[in-house]
Amino acid sequence: MLQDHLHDYIKRFGFTGYTELRAQENRNRAVAMLNGSLVSNSSGVSRGVSARVVKGGAYGFASATGYGDDIEAIAQIVRSASQNATFLDRHVQRGQPDFAPVQPFTRTDGLEHDVPVEQSYLLSVVDELDSYIAERFPKLLSRRVFARVLNMEKLLYTSDGVVSHSFVPRSNIYTIMTTQDQDGQPVELYKVLGGYGNFPEKFKNAEEFFEKLEKQYELLMQKAEGVYAKPGIQTVILDSDLAGILAHEAVGHTVEADFVQTGSVGGPMFGKQVASEKISLVDIAHTAFGELAPVPVFVDDEGTPAQDQMLIENGILTGYMHNKESARKFGHEPNGNARAYEFSDEPLIRMRNTCILPGTDKLEEMIASVEDGYFMTDMNNGQADSTGEFMFGVPMGYEIKNGKLGRAIKDTTVSGVAFEVLKTADMVSDTVTWTNSGMCGKKQMIPVGMGGPAIKVKINVGGRA
Amino acid sequence: MKKAFEVKNQSILDSAELILNEIKAIGADEGETWVSRNVLTELYYELGKISMVRTVFSDKVSVKLLKDKRKGTVNLNSFDPADIKQAVADAWQAAQSAAPDEAEGIAELQENASFNSGEEKPDLDLMYQQLTDLLADTKQDFPKISFDSIGVEHTYSERLYANTNGVRLSEEQGLYQLINMFMAKDGDQTSSFNYFGTVYDDPSERVAEAGRVRRILDETQRQIVTEQIEGSFTGDLVITPGCLENFLWYVGDTYLQDGAMISGTSPWKEKLGEQVASTLVNVELVAEHPELPGTSKLSGDGYVAENMSLIERGVLKNFSLSRYGAAKTGLKRSANSGSTMVFGNGQTSLEDMISGVEKGILLGRFSGGQPSPSGDLSGVAKNSFLIENGKVTKPLSEVMIAGNLGDMLRDTVAVSQERENSGYWLLPWIRVSKVTISGK
Repeated sequence: MLQDHLHDYIKRFGFTGYTELRAQENRNRAVAMLNGSLVSNSSGVSRGVSARVVKGGAYGFASATGYGDDIEAIAQIVRSASQNATFLDRHVQRGQPDFAPVQPFTRTDGLEHDVPVEQSYLLSVVDELDSYIAERFPKLLSRRVFARVLNMEKLLYTSDGVVSHSFVPRSNIYTIMTTQDQDGQPVELYKVLGGYGNFPEKFKNAEEFFEKLEKQYELLMQKAEGVYAKPGIQTVILDSDLAGILAHEAVGHTVEADFVQTGSVGGPMFGKQVASEKISLVDIAHTAFGELAPVPVFVDDEGTPAQDQMLIENGILTGYMHNKESARKFGHEPNGNARAYEFSDEPLIRMRNTCILPGTDKLEEMIASVEDGYFMTDMNNGQADSTGEFMFGVPMGYEIKNGKLGRAIKDTTVSGVAFEVLKTADMVSDTVTWTNSGMCGKKQMIPVGMGGPAIKVKINVGGRA
Repeated sequence: MKKAFEVKNQSILDSAELILNEIKAIGADEGETWVSRNVLTELYYELGKISMVRTVFSDKVSVKLLKDKRKGTVNLNSFDPADIKQAVADAWQAAQSAAPDEAEGIAELQENASFNSGEEKPDLDLMYQQLTDLLADTKQDFPKISFDSIGVEHTYSERLYANTNGVRLSEEQGLYQLINMFMAKDGDQTSSFNYFGTVYDDPSERVAEAGRVRRILDETQRQIVTEQIEGSFTGDLVITPGCLENFLWYVGDTYLQDGAMISGTSPWKEKLGEQVASTLVNVELVAEHPELPGTSKLSGDGYVAENMSLIERGVLKNFSLSRYGAAKTGLKRSANSGSTMVFGNGQTSLEDMISGVEKGILLGRFSGGQPSPSGDLSGVAKNSFLIENGKVTKPLSEVMIAGNLGDMLRDTVAVSQERENSGYWLLPWIRVSKVTISGK
């Protein structure tokens, strides 16, 4: 755990002007097996200190690796940040006042999860899952099993008197199976296990996951006999994973206040109907439906206490995500969306846990309501645009014919314009599930949670003619 | 420039020697390390203003050791001897639990050498001038362009590879880079976002004078009001150089590199020396090129990288395999497993290429899912125009394309004479036939 040397620095030097001072350690572990060979067996630590100073609206940032009781080293980082702010302030002469101070507070979150994890434990779990796949499904063309651990610990002091010490663990195992279709072409399906928590908590016993491996193999066999989807606009039930990435990629990015200011479609649509009234969308700070969200944020990296940010309420666009500067510009309250990935990164406006809220429909009734369409269950990546146009890769799904699930489909892609697609949402299921393995890229990477119910929409499918 | 082995920063050399000594002392059979010291200086523009100056000092260390072909790897960002000793101990502990792998190993003894290029110290005033010039030039010539962000960066790194076989290779590199994201706006209407990245040695160059930059800004400015197309058809793609780079990255991952080759999923795994693409396709990975300052002379597994042909007149000449990937597959280690690419230019002018298309798309950017192991891919055509009867007619939205990477290389029917240069790659436009294109 990070020792508090920042307090010693502040006691001796104090702050001059608006300053955020952060010590951070990202610890990661990776174990990967490919067809039984151990291709990765690594651990890593990225630790350092950063300072961000604001002068007249000009930001100066500096960081350096290492973090210890050398107070002078911390002072040097703050001085570098201050010099950078001074250089820029001299050029741009923006003359903006400091941010309004927040009420000082001190809090700690999640530190109890910081328990030692042995690399050998990751190896044993991965090896057991890999051996099970090899023995049970010997005809696979290839198999890959890999574990990833990312534990992020941050200690933040601000010149406003905010002190926050947090620890957020994430542990995942990915299982990828590849077989061949009737034409001899490789067909692949991957699944992700785990989420928030340290590795021994999430993976107490490999045997608990054997049933999921059996299911994954069954789905892969269905996919190997699958057909290409038909191209064009189709009626599609997007299961929770896809609804979650729709919330994140297609809507979430367009209502980040920095994108709004650049000209995203979220700007002119504020206060307007952007989705069917069955759709409500929120960026959850830390707690949802009585449980901790996948990526809980209690205090952001500018020292703002984190609260949920409503984005769409009953189809109306009602909110943006902010940092301190954009909140001041828009006259809104910041709710803790300024987040940094590494110690060497400055906070950016980022999502935390975007989620479409559940409706009242049953999934079975939704499928039964489709005469000719698709039920898409898995996603593998997504991208979105300032216009709200998005795409997601879909590695698993089924035809729906006359209200019943039909043949599996091969890999495809769906796309659309978010607000147009969401206006077609006429059924929303009553059950939300979360994914907690996603990393969002926007200058920096950052872990995010995504969640949602199943939703029934009209959407463009990138099938084969 | 290649020269006799030397390391400017003594702490890099001291850290590497400490690591190798610790690796031997702990009882490992062999081991290797990368040690680097890096400084990033960034000037950042966002939301209509130059907002930040950022300086990042970072030390990076990686340790790999082997005992009875069992591997342990640890990464850290400290030169502190206590941290280094702990890292070697952690790698040793990781190796104890690992299964042995006969393909594991480290680079063989070779001539020790050093390479250097670029400047160590950034000129922050010139970077500031370059950024303000880009903003002013864009405002004057492309007034509808709105930058979301621009980063003008200088990175300096000195890095050393050392192993217990006695290999010592180092590279010192200073490089400027400009990255950005932008869109075009007219009232409440916006284009799709777009970007260009460029690396260079000289920050006094005016970025907006480059032909590639002007083309991308101009095309984006003409994409504010887009149209959709009805139905599906099989047509041609004229793929722009930046988009081609995206597809070639997919080709490497799906057909040529360690992952696809070791897993056996590469559709080209038995195709070395065979025709896999149109005879117009010539692709080379480069470690040194007079027009590409972004090349790196060292491979990730401890060798001096060389220029290497991947595909020559459509024939697969080499895979892109690391030492481990080669040992695992029984094939030859590749002289280059990097990503700095050159695609040989063709005989067709871009104008003639477009005029030969009856119906298709000028593809500016591809927003798609990861290709399947068989090379199937589909996604949205972004920043793109419709081509009808040999003419670029209208900007598009909500149009999807679907095809297969291998088929696309085989169905490449023209390669342009013109090429564009990002500093990392030198690529032409190519025309591909028989792609599924679908609108609403």
